Amino acid sequence: MTVTEDAPAAVSAASEPPASTPASTGLAAILGSGDHKVVGRLWIVASLFHLLLAGAAALAVAAEKIDLSGADVLEDWLGPLYAYRSIAAAFLFLLPLTIGLATAIVPLQVGASTLAFPRAATAAAWTYLLGGGLLVGSVLIEGGPYGTDVEGVRLFVVSFALVLVAQAVAWVCIATTVLSLRVPGMTMRRVPLFAWSSLVAATVWLITLPVLAAITVLAYLDIRYGGAGGFFGGGEQTLYTRISWVFGTPSVYAFAIPALGVIGSVVPVFARTRHQRHRLAQGLIAAFGALSVGVWTVTGYGSDPYPWLYEGPWVVVSFAVLIPLLGLIGLWVATLVQGRLELSSPLVFGLAAVLMLLVGLLAGAVQAIEPIETLVDEGATPLFSTSWSAAIAGYVGLAAMIALLGGVVYWAPKLVGRTFDEAPAKVLAVVLLAGTVLWAFPELVAGLLGQPALPLVGVTENDAAIEGLNVATLVGGVVLALGVAGLVALFAVAARRDELPGDDPWSGHTLEWATSSPPPYGNFASLPEVTSEAPLYDARHRSEEGSA
Amino acid sequence: MSAVATTTPSPILTAPPAPPRRPRVLTVAAAFGGVASGLVVLTMLGVYLQVRGERLADGVPALPEDVTLPLTPGNMGLVTLAMSVVTVAWLCYSLRNEDRTHAYLALGVSLLLGVAFINATAYLYQQLSMPFTMTGTSGLIYAVTGAHLVMTFVGLVFLAVMGFHALGGQLTGRDAESMSAAALYWYVTVAVYLPVWYGIYVTK
Repeated sequence: MTVTEDAPAAVSAASEPPASTPASTGLAAILGSGDHKVVGRLWIVASLFHLLLAGAAALAVAAEKIDLSGADVLEDWLGPLYAYRSIAAAFLFLLPLTIGLATAIVPLQVGASTLAFPRAATAAAWTYLLGGGLLVGSVLIEGGPYGTDVEGVRLFVVSFALVLVAQAVAWVCIATTVLSLRVPGMTMRRVPLFAWSSLVAATVWLITLPVLAAITVLAYLDIRYGGAGGFFGGGEQTLYTRISWVFGTPSVYAFAIPALGVIGSVVPVFARTRHQRHRLAQGLIAAFGALSVGVWTVTGYGSDPYPWLYEGPWVVVSFAVLIPLLGLIGLWVATLVQGRLELSSPLVFGLAAVLMLLVGLLAGAVQAIEPIETLVDEGATPLFSTSWSAAIAGYVGLAAMIALLGGVVYWAPKLVGRTFDEAPAKVLAVVLLAGTVLWAFPELVAGLLGQPALPLVGVTENDAAIEGLNVATLVGGVVLALGVAGLVALFAVAARRDELPGDDPWSGHTLEWATSSPPPYGNFASLPEVTSEAPLYDARHRSEEGSA
Repeated sequence: MSAVATTTPSPILTAPPAPPRRPRVLTVAAAFGGVASGLVVLTMLGVYLQVRGERLADGVPALPEDVTLPLTPGNMGLVTLAMSVVTVAWLCYSLRNEDRTHAYLALGVSLLLGVAFINATAYLYQQLSMPFTMTGTSGLIYAVTGAHLVMTFVGLVFLAVMGFHALGGQLTGRDAESMSAAALYWYVTVAVYLPVWYGIYVTK
């Protein structure tokens, strides 16, 4: 970090718009564009398409779990669909949505005219589209984890590896932009919180994704050359177990890192004041990121699949990760108290997200207390193996989703040049909050009652109660689907409107609001002087003081 | 004085300013890329060591009984890569000091050493004559060393491309960041080989 602490000497030039603008329009502009806003939108739209597919799979699995006597409707599809919904929700929806938002917004926040390595970023986006499409195709031909078609399983592994490589490349572009393309005056300590959280997330994912990729490559070799006698013990049946550590604690917390940056960007704007202790907030986000590095919890290949379970480091991390989040919540409360609260829709999204994230982290801490047992088999089944663990992933993942969708609402003027209607957007934020509670809380309770994390595996006790809870989960899924559909409809309405939002409809604090909505190719015609983490807030106050 | 006033300005002075440099962009990306590539290799090595440990604990030999893993090619590979660290540093130093003759020489020797390492590993594979199967550890040995071989190849290509840039006069002493980025990636490649060498060739 020391080498990048000082503002790069030549960055002023990086902020100057490129000499030429792209001549192509329409589809050609999308296919051949290296403009980070176009690439970012590509990631976001594709991720929402995958949310549709993953959501449908999740609802199908949830519906199947209402009757625990067996897989009546899905039959052989239950296992593949369960694995697909987890993998797709995380790697085809949530991370791509994060990458899309970061690709579009981070260069604007740091005052750069472009993303670092725009061609690589474009290639990453198209590789993700290709890999994602192949992955869906592999599941459709009964491949994927627990799949019956061996060729399909191999296709799944290869396409998943493609997706991982694409995301790693995209993260390199984002991290390099923050480290090397900042405008003069923007030291690391003045980097806006969303850009900072994107850097932290990039670092964490560039540690996590290669490990996942290596395991995926080994899985392919094992399925291709080892078969049932391979060290994976039969490839397709154990594939999901080998990669499911990324959905467990603490790795799953990494999905929420950029969400902290979104909330940190939104809170001071709608409190009409500065973020309290910006540097401390940066440190807390970095600490949260460091604690969410979970590559050391990779599933073991020996007789003990979870050698770290209930061991010191895992227990300590499960509790310690609460500290940065609580610290950030404290700073956000202080910021809101210090300023004049304006309950706009992005803030409602942010508050809903932070609440769900807190519940998820608390559930993660409870899971690490070994004496807390399931109410079945005298505690022989650890909470970690039950749907309690799946509920934690649900809380954290959905909190991240709510925050990122809030980010889309907040930065919509920069993304598409339109704003969402305020009142319906607020309602939809509450709907998503309610859906998250309905989806994840019953799974927590069902975990206590002994419902395994994998569906329909060995449930023998409390079936009636668990089935009732699974009905509530299904209802939660439907509410979430309605919330997301409502948001998409709201976006469609906003896109048809002729009314333009203006350059800075929220009176924002950071540099992305210093350019037009949507920003031109090259981003900025001129930039204000950066002397703090909130240059536009400074400029506004200087002019107010001058006029007074 | 009048002669001075009517002198046509030099085309160099009237030329538009050079496009701005992107500070450390490639170096930062090379650092991230190097660490990410290294983690792929190290993860595979970790899986190999765990599977090997389990087999040994069960009383099963780690390698097929008719296979001997020779140490010499591994050692030669390590020495070759260690020498390449010096030559790549020499290359960067020469370029910074505008000493192009030394830069060309250092680049040539570095590429030669990199190719020699690949050759040593290929020779090792030939000597081993171990079947590629994932039922034991043999497939994992190929996976680990093969992944590192890919990393080495990428590093070599990176060095070569930057070397050709230097040959073409596109890299000057003040603008040698691209070569530094390639060198950084190469150093990470060499560093990653150390645990691979110890974990596979020394412990067998």
